[in-house]
Amino acid sequence: MFRKKPKKLLCVLLVLTLLLSLTACGQTTAEDTAAATTAAGAETEAAPTEETQTQAQTEAPETGAPEVAEPASSYPVTVTDQAGREVTIEEEPQTLVSGYYISTSLLIALDLDEKLVGIEAKADTRPIYQLSDPALLELPSVGTAKEFDLEGCAALEPDLVILPLKLQSVVESLEALDIDVLLINPENQELLEETIRLIGEATNTSDRAQALLDFSAREEARLAEELAGAETPSVYLAGNSDFLSTAGDAMYQSDMIRMAGGVNAAAELTDTYWAEISYEQLLAWNPEYIILASDASYTTEDVLTDPNLAGCQAVENGSVYQIPGNAEAWDSPVPSGILGSVWLSSVLHPEICPQEDSMAVIDEFYETFYGFTYSEQ
Amino acid sequence: MNSMKPSMALPTVNSKHLCAAGAALLAALAVVSLLTGKYPLTLEGLLAGDEMQLRVFWNLRASRTAVGIVGGFALGIAGFVYQTVFRNPLASPDVIGVSSGASAGAAAGILFLSGAAQVTLASFAGALAAVGLALALSALDKAGRHSTIVLAGIAVHSLAQTVLMCLKLTADPERELASIEYWIMGSLNAISGYSIKGNLILCLLCIAVLFLMHRQILLLSAEEGEARMLGVSVGRLRLAVLLAATLTVASIVSLSGLISFVGLLAPHGARMLTHRNDAGTMLLGGLLGGIILTAADILARSVSSVELPVSIFTSLLGAPFLIYLIVRGRKET
Repeated sequence: MFRKKPKKLLCVLLVLTLLLSLTACGQTTAEDTAAATTAAGAETEAAPTEETQTQAQTEAPETGAPEVAEPASSYPVTVTDQAGREVTIEEEPQTLVSGYYISTSLLIALDLDEKLVGIEAKADTRPIYQLSDPALLELPSVGTAKEFDLEGCAALEPDLVILPLKLQSVVESLEALDIDVLLINPENQELLEETIRLIGEATNTSDRAQALLDFSAREEARLAEELAGAETPSVYLAGNSDFLSTAGDAMYQSDMIRMAGGVNAAAELTDTYWAEISYEQLLAWNPEYIILASDASYTTEDVLTDPNLAGCQAVENGSVYQIPGNAEAWDSPVPSGILGSVWLSSVLHPEICPQEDSMAVIDEFYETFYGFTYSEQ
Repeated sequence: MNSMKPSMALPTVNSKHLCAAGAALLAALAVVSLLTGKYPLTLEGLLAGDEMQLRVFWNLRASRTAVGIVGGFALGIAGFVYQTVFRNPLASPDVIGVSSGASAGAAAGILFLSGAAQVTLASFAGALAAVGLALALSALDKAGRHSTIVLAGIAVHSLAQTVLMCLKLTADPERELASIEYWIMGSLNAISGYSIKGNLILCLLCIAVLFLMHRQILLLSAEEGEARMLGVSVGRLRLAVLLAATLTVASIVSLSGLISFVGLLAPHGARMLTHRNDAGTMLLGGLLGGIILTAADILARSVSSVELPVSIFTSLLGAPFLIYLIVRGRKET
């Protein structure tokens, strides 16, 4: 009797722990999937705590931004990057390295591409570089977020290195070599705006950064005004990796749909990363439009011919579209992200937002900030 | 280890009764599974012949339930066969590289092919290639020791893991890598009537073959010398049995992605319940596998608003069950 009890207790305890973790699993799906994908080394590091932290920080610079924008930055300038580090830049940086496609694209928009001496790997998969500055493709690569080439980066002797937050581990080594590093984390619209201000301030291009922000704000306001009172069709956004992965309400892509005058069919999901659903769930939502992410590994044809989707409104009406990726993936937080909403508004509301008008906006954007005409490509 | 050998001890509980209870529980779970899902199905709608509801019911709900039952059953049976043939209580489809081969195949399919059907095919091919390689390597050992297969399997398993890692490294993190990771976690969310027929038929055929060969399988667990004296061609028989068991696993895993723990746990559970290692135990192992996978899948699709990987729940349900059986077993002896 005496000896059996502890064993029984242990057994009960073990079962209880397992059951507890089961309920925990149910409640924290968001973190669960986020954790799983971070482990996968996926592009995003959407740890919710970090996000809220940095979001809180956004508030402060927002009010202070106009003051900074007025005079050109006078060096030395001290900025707070998106890992919360204070970085003092002694002189205007003349040579830059960008280890992230979002910052590389941003640097082109800020007219700093001439100063780039190294960029992230797989640059040839980004059509925007080819379109606006093919010389970028010739630059040495500093690797990816998975495999950063620390030595190669140091050998370029840049004045300033811009890296995604997930490369935090290499900061110390670069700082030891007297290279300034800014960590950025443009995971959503607010964070992207903060990134744009941060880089503008650090590189003495605050005016242009402000112009970039103004463009997005102007278009957002225009869409809101034109689409006020219009019907809001339900839109299912199918993810890059899999047709059955979708973006819940907390994601950047959900804002894109809202701004374009639609309702995210998956709004009930609260995940901060792509969530998996079933065919049944999709049929139950029965969206009016199905929009494929711009880097989707499948085509609209695949969706239209999928027998499991027969009976779904969007498929029956042929309302299946893919976000164009001719320049950039507008469904990711890139500086041109607002164009995703502009494009989608013409898909959902062609009578209010004619396609020609949207194309004109897209052309204006790329002509102003990237120096090429989108519609001629 | 003792329980691995065909035991002559009298059964404490009639395994027929246990199997009947298992089958009843599995049937009950199947009903729950048919009633659980995101699409609002109504009995009136189904009876009135609402086209959409019928399509959802047969094509999605019933197919998913069938894969849960048959898949769990297959994993349980295959686990029983592996453990018996290798005389190793830790043997499972991983031991001879089936799972890792399937993963590497699926990853290659995700990277270089498109469409769910091609990924299924690639993963199936990967599983077969891995096992083929393991068996070919073990054939190099003329003495035909059964430990050679295990060693060859472990080598192939590592090799497949390396291939998988290389494929992951070249994968685009936004889409392909995420796909590969999610595939490996395993889920029945993409199962539909259009994609499962071939796999299910193959799986059922192989299960039937395994049951027809159950005497030979049990003979393989005897000492090799004994088996030879009984007139069994050990090498060839072992090859046939392993191939059939592998095909059942490959046909399921290529559809669903990896499902952890069922293949290891179900046969152990069955043996602890019957205290034997016979055909009845094999059947009970299959039933237990079906019960665990069906229950896990019900939870995976209903606990949260999104689909969760089924392996989380097979482990969560399986581990406490195994602990219970161990504690219960100690008490009795």
